[in-house]
Amino acid sequence: MFAAVFLCAGTLFASDVTDDFSHANQLFAEGKFSEAAKAYESILNAGSVSQNLLFNAGDAEFKSGNLGRAIAAFRRAELLAPRDADVRANLDFARNQVQGVTWRQSWWESWLGSLSLNEWTALAAITFWLTFILFAVVQLRPEWKNVLRGPARGMAVAAVFFCACLMAAANVHFSDSVAVVVSPDAVTRSGPFDDAQNAFAVHDGAELAILDERNGWVQVTDGSGRTGWMKGSQVEVLPVI
Amino acid sequence: MIRVLKLFSPALALLFCCVSTAFGANFTASLDRDNIAMGETATLSLTFEGGQPGNVPTPDVPGLDIANSGNSTSFTFVNGQMSSVVTVTFSVTPQQTGRFVIPAMQADIGGQRIQTQPLTLIVTRPGAPSTSQINSGSQVAFMRLTLPDKKVYPGEMIAGQLQIFFRDDVQNYQGFQFSSMPADGFTVGKLSQGGTERARIGDHVYTVIPVSVALTAVKTGTLTVGPFTANVLIIVSQNNGEWGPFGGFFGGQQKQVTLETEPVTITSAPLPTVDVPTNFNGAVGDYTMSVDAGPTNVAVGDPVTVRVKISGRGSLDSITMPAQAGWSDFKIFSPTSKTETSDDMGDEGSKTFEEIVTPQNARIHELPPISFSFFNPDDGNYHTLTQPAMPISVTAVGATPLPTIAGTRTENQPTQAQDIAPIRQNFGALAQAGTPLVTRPTFLAIQSVPVLAFITALVWRRRADSLANNPRLRRQRAVEQLIAGGLDDLNKFAAENKSNEFFAMLFRLLQEELGERLDCPAISITEADVDARLVSLGANQETIDSLRELFQACNQARYAHVQTSEELSALVSKFKRTVAALQELKV
Repeated sequence: MFAAVFLCAGTLFASDVTDDFSHANQLFAEGKFSEAAKAYESILNAGSVSQNLLFNAGDAEFKSGNLGRAIAAFRRAELLAPRDADVRANLDFARNQVQGVTWRQSWWESWLGSLSLNEWTALAAITFWLTFILFAVVQLRPEWKNVLRGPARGMAVAAVFFCACLMAAANVHFSDSVAVVVSPDAVTRSGPFDDAQNAFAVHDGAELAILDERNGWVQVTDGSGRTGWMKGSQVEVLPVI
Repeated sequence: MIRVLKLFSPALALLFCCVSTAFGANFTASLDRDNIAMGETATLSLTFEGGQPGNVPTPDVPGLDIANSGNSTSFTFVNGQMSSVVTVTFSVTPQQTGRFVIPAMQADIGGQRIQTQPLTLIVTRPGAPSTSQINSGSQVAFMRLTLPDKKVYPGEMIAGQLQIFFRDDVQNYQGFQFSSMPADGFTVGKLSQGGTERARIGDHVYTVIPVSVALTAVKTGTLTVGPFTANVLIIVSQNNGEWGPFGGFFGGQQKQVTLETEPVTITSAPLPTVDVPTNFNGAVGDYTMSVDAGPTNVAVGDPVTVRVKISGRGSLDSITMPAQAGWSDFKIFSPTSKTETSDDMGDEGSKTFEEIVTPQNARIHELPPISFSFFNPDDGNYHTLTQPAMPISVTAVGATPLPTIAGTRTENQPTQAQDIAPIRQNFGALAQAGTPLVTRPTFLAIQSVPVLAFITALVWRRRADSLANNPRLRRQRAVEQLIAGGLDDLNKFAAENKSNEFFAMLFRLLQEELGERLDCPAISITEADVDARLVSLGANQETIDSLRELFQACNQARYAHVQTSEELSALVSKFKRTVAALQELKV
């Protein structure tokens, strides 16, 4: 009975989300990009997230002129599907429209971002398991030692490599964040106060590395050594990978 | 003693009741003070006379935090008559200023319901003492705040001087804590405590604790710092600081006091708007700059490390590397910075920026000049420090693609597409919510399974190797298995009354067991070997006799009549006992 209730509820939920998603797509097709963006956002606010939803939300925000929100949506889609060519193309396209200096993650962070954190975890776990299974088989069947020696060593090297990658990816995921400017009239200040001096100008869509957070303000750097404080409402904070 | 008490306890209870009713009950509430400042604590005492209270009321007054702090009971004998007094105390800590009324409370004592009078407590905002109060020496502790007598500029760091005074009759203080440090238009930085001093004010000597406060102006106009407020628990000598049997050494009076400074104003002037260097980015202070770079002999695409060290006095944390012109032939990576301060407040020291740049072509012959501008509040002028261009040798190599780390988009960068990719029509798979796998305890616990499997296999392998390398142990195991199987056969032969097969098997098993025990071939074992060699292994006479009987039974069976199943079964039991005894021998 519980299973039936859950199944029914799940079907109704999926049906509602699909209807809302189709409605938002319809608005987009009619050229009502702002309304489409709001429709996508309402689905997201309801707790439903998918790669395609974020992708479409990014498209709608981009067409509405909200460059920062578009980039934020594409980045979130990229976190779910790091190797999706369309997502990457749209993200690059949107980034090319951004004026002024923007922060770019390092090459190794980009490389780590080619797989999601769970994918790195799965790779590390699989190689780890295979390594120890091979080691155990060598103990149980010593006559296979010569045959299994090479694969076991290779798998051990792979396990160490993927575990190191996982640690690096987890470190970046949990410790580094990026702020995407989503306000067209954003400004950085020298301190976390409304009346603090202006530090440097930023534009809608600029991606800035986060250094600190305090009282609803985030301290950001643009990658050229300049730092400043921005209101949390002017940025969308995302993990780097 | 306990039995005596038990015997007399009803009498004591009766006596107590008599006392309670004989002298009449009373219930009073009192405050040790009716006027306190925020941060101080008053004591509310509920006194129950003439008996144990049936209930102890706990007052609840909005704005006051009232907590039980202890109970006490005393008995007094006056003219041969006893009376009891129970006192319950509460600490009363105000949460806000104002006039508070602790309402009347009721309690049952000795069957009577008695009510107290309402109490009034006035809580005032602590204020800084006046100069005359300070000079009169009436203040047991106070605090002063002074700022430099000058105008400041936004971004300039100044040191506020805070002095905390404790009168000479303060034996000790603890729990000093700032409760408020308002500084409108300033950011409050590090605090640095100086060495303790002594000062005479009026007729008293005070211990002075200086504390420097780093303040950085963030806006212009008339700025107000303070009033700073702090709470501290002091212990005041009860005999004017003299150490003696009734004061000082044996403890003074504890007192929670609130200290407050006068607010201090200072003018923050805007930075001059004339002659502002183009690359000025807000640095205020007095600085010097040194630059070094290396290596200076590189190929195109090779990294060159440029270190810019800004040293001096000012808000080092807020210094940022200004954008440099003329570096378009270089790809510039994100710089890192490191701040080293030489004083406790952090307003003197150096900040080093380390920037990796890579030359993009072989036509480059020098690293472009680097400049840094700041405003010096001491002379009121802007200054620009410039490091001249440094020669560099760049040789051409094959084109090496470089990772994109940082950079400014230029207008002539080609775009890869004319428009964004179109939207998708299907919703797609719902993203799985929740924490990443790597942080789930269950997932991490499962990763121990292959390790445990490997350890199990390793232990198994070690044991197998150990057995293979020990022929004695191997033979012992083999004989144990042979005996176990042979016993089944013996039972079967006994049941079927096949005495020939039975005794042949019995003889063989005896030979195998003894051969293993004596470490010699089984076939060479005879009855004659049993006595001498087994005794040397420590076998007892009963075991030897039993063995001898078994051997004799085997020998006799060749000539004697066929024995019954019961007799054969009895021999099996004897064989089991004998083998068990043999296996206990240490070989």
